Amino acid sequence: MAEHYSSFQRGGTRWLLQRVTAVFLIGVLAFHFFLLHFVNHASEITFAGTAVRMSQVGYFATMWLFLVTATFHGVNGVYNALINQGLEGTRKNAVKWLLVLASLLLVAQGTRVAIAMTNLV
Amino acid sequence: MSHSYDRGFIEDFGRWREFSAGMWAWIFHKFTGWVLIGYLFTHIAVLSTATASDPAVYTDTLQGLEALVIVRFLEVGLLAVAVFHILNGVRLLFVDLGVGLEAQDRSFYASLVLTGAITVASVPTFVGGVLA
Amino acid sequence: MSTQTEPESETEIEESEAAATETESAVESPGDRRRREKGERAVEEEAKRKEAEETLDEEDTVQIKVFRYDPEVEGKQEPRFDDFHVPFFKGMTVLDALIYARDTYDSSLTFRHSCRQAVCGSDALFINGSQRLACQTQIADLDSETVRVEPLPHQDVVKDLVVDMEHFYDQMDSVEPYFDADELPDGDETQRQTPENREKVKMSTRCIWCGACMSSCNIAADDNQYLGPAAINMAYRFAMDEREGEIRKEDRIKIIEQEHGVWRCQTQFSCTEVCPKDIPLTEHIQELKREAVKSNLKFW
Repeated sequence: MAEHYSSFQRGGTRWLLQRVTAVFLIGVLAFHFFLLHFVNHASEITFAGTAVRMSQVGYFATMWLFLVTATFHGVNGVYNALINQGLEGTRKNAVKWLLVLASLLLVAQGTRVAIAMTNLV
Repeated sequence: MSHSYDRGFIEDFGRWREFSAGMWAWIFHKFTGWVLIGYLFTHIAVLSTATASDPAVYTDTLQGLEALVIVRFLEVGLLAVAVFHILNGVRLLFVDLGVGLEAQDRSFYASLVLTGAITVASVPTFVGGVLA
Repeated sequence: MSTQTEPESETEIEESEAAATETESAVESPGDRRRREKGERAVEEEAKRKEAEETLDEEDTVQIKVFRYDPEVEGKQEPRFDDFHVPFFKGMTVLDALIYARDTYDSSLTFRHSCRQAVCGSDALFINGSQRLACQTQIADLDSETVRVEPLPHQDVVKDLVVDMEHFYDQMDSVEPYFDADELPDGDETQRQTPENREKVKMSTRCIWCGACMSSCNIAADDNQYLGPAAINMAYRFAMDEREGEIRKEDRIKIIEQEHGVWRCQTQFSCTEVCPKDIPLTEHIQELKREAVKSNLKFW
C-alpha cells in the first residue's frame, strides 16, 4: 500500500490536538456541569443571572474557549469515526467540508449568543 | 474488503457477548461522544433565544423546559454520558501515555462504577423541584 | 476377544512349522503369509476401533462444529456448520480434533496447519468466538460442551477454514519488515546490539504472521487501508532497533504516521488479547504514536 504514503496525509496533528483539547475539556465540562446544576440550579436560570456570569471577562473567555475546543473535539471525533468506518475518496472529502462548515457555523452562532448574553450589546 | 458471501453476524456486532473490556470501553466512548456532540448543537440552538430583543424569551424558554419532568430525566442521562466520557477519557489519556496498560480493563470497570455512583448521587439535585 | 484369537494363533504355529520344514513347493509362501496376517490384523484393529467408538460415552468425546463452505462445490456454496464427534484424549488440541475429523470422517475438510507447535502461524482460526491458534488451544481449556471452529473473520474465505491472507501480507510488506541499517560495519565486524535494546524489541520479534490480531481488529475490518497491528508491530521491531540508525528510523516513522497508520488504532486492546505470542501490540502502537508526535514536534 506504499502508494498511499504522502507527507500531506499525516494524521498526527489532529491526534495530538484531540488529546490536548481533551485535557482542557475534562476540567471545563466538569466545572460547567457543577456550576449550572449544583451551584446554580438549572431551573432557576434567568437571563439576568446568565448576563452577570457572562459579563465577567474570565468566565466569558473560558466559555468561548469551551465552545471552540468542544466543537473541534466533537467534530474531529465524528470525522475519525467515519474514517474508521472506511469512508474514502470523494465522499470523505464531502463529509470533511460539511463538518468544517457545520463547525464554523456552530462557533459563529455560539459566539453571537455569548456576546448577546453579556451587557456589552 | 469484498466478501465472497455475507457472513453476517459472524463478522459484526452480533458477537457482542464475546466482547472484552477494551471493546466495550470503545463502544461506550463512541456512543457518549455522539450524544455529547449532538447535545452541543442542540444546546447552542436553545441558548440562541438569548439573542432575542426581549430577555424574557430566554428566561421563559429555559424555565419552561426545566418544568418538564422528561427534561429533568434527560439531564440525568446527559450527566451520566458526560461523566463516563470524562472518566473513560482520562483512562484513554493514560493509555496514550503508555501508563497502566495492564490495568486497562480494571480502569474501565472503575469508570463505569464511578459513573453509576455519581449519577445516582445526582438524581435528587436534578429531579428535585419538579417531582416534589 | 481372546477366545477368538487362540485358535488362529494355533493354526499359525502349525502353518509356520510346516513352512519351515517344507521347501519352495509350499502351499503358502512367506510373503503370502505375511500379507494374510497383516490382513487379519487390520480386520482385528478395525473391529477394535469400531468397538471403542461405539462404547465411547459423552465424556470421552468432544463435539466440534466446523464451518463449511466451498464456492466450487454445488452442495457447499451455502455456508453451514458440520458437527463431528471426536474421541477425546488428555491434552487434545483443536487442531488434533480437526485432523481426526478430516482423517476419519470427511477428507474434504480443509484447513491450514504445518508445525503444530505455534511456530509457523498457519492455523489461526476463530475458535469459540476468539482468534486462536488451533494447535495451541487445548480443548479442555475451552471449558465448553462443543467447540465452534470458524475461519478468521474479516478475511475472504477460500474454502472451509482457509482464508485469503494476501491483504495481510501486503500490509506486512508495506512497512518494509527487514533489517536495513544506515551504516554497515567494515569487514567482518559484527553489528552488536546492547542487551537493553534487545530486551526492548524482544516481544515484537515474536510475531509469527498468523493474522489473528488483524482479524480481531474492529478498525482494520472497516478501513482496508489501515496497516493493522501486526504490520505496525513489525515497524516497531525495526524502528526501535538502535542498530539501524536515526535516518532509517525517521523513514520508518513516516510510514506508520500516515493517516491510515498508527492513528487509526482506537486502543480497543482486541489485538493484544488474541495474540498467541503475547506481544503487547497496543503498547507498541501507542509508543509509535508518541514517537511520531515527537518527531513532528522537532520540525516545529
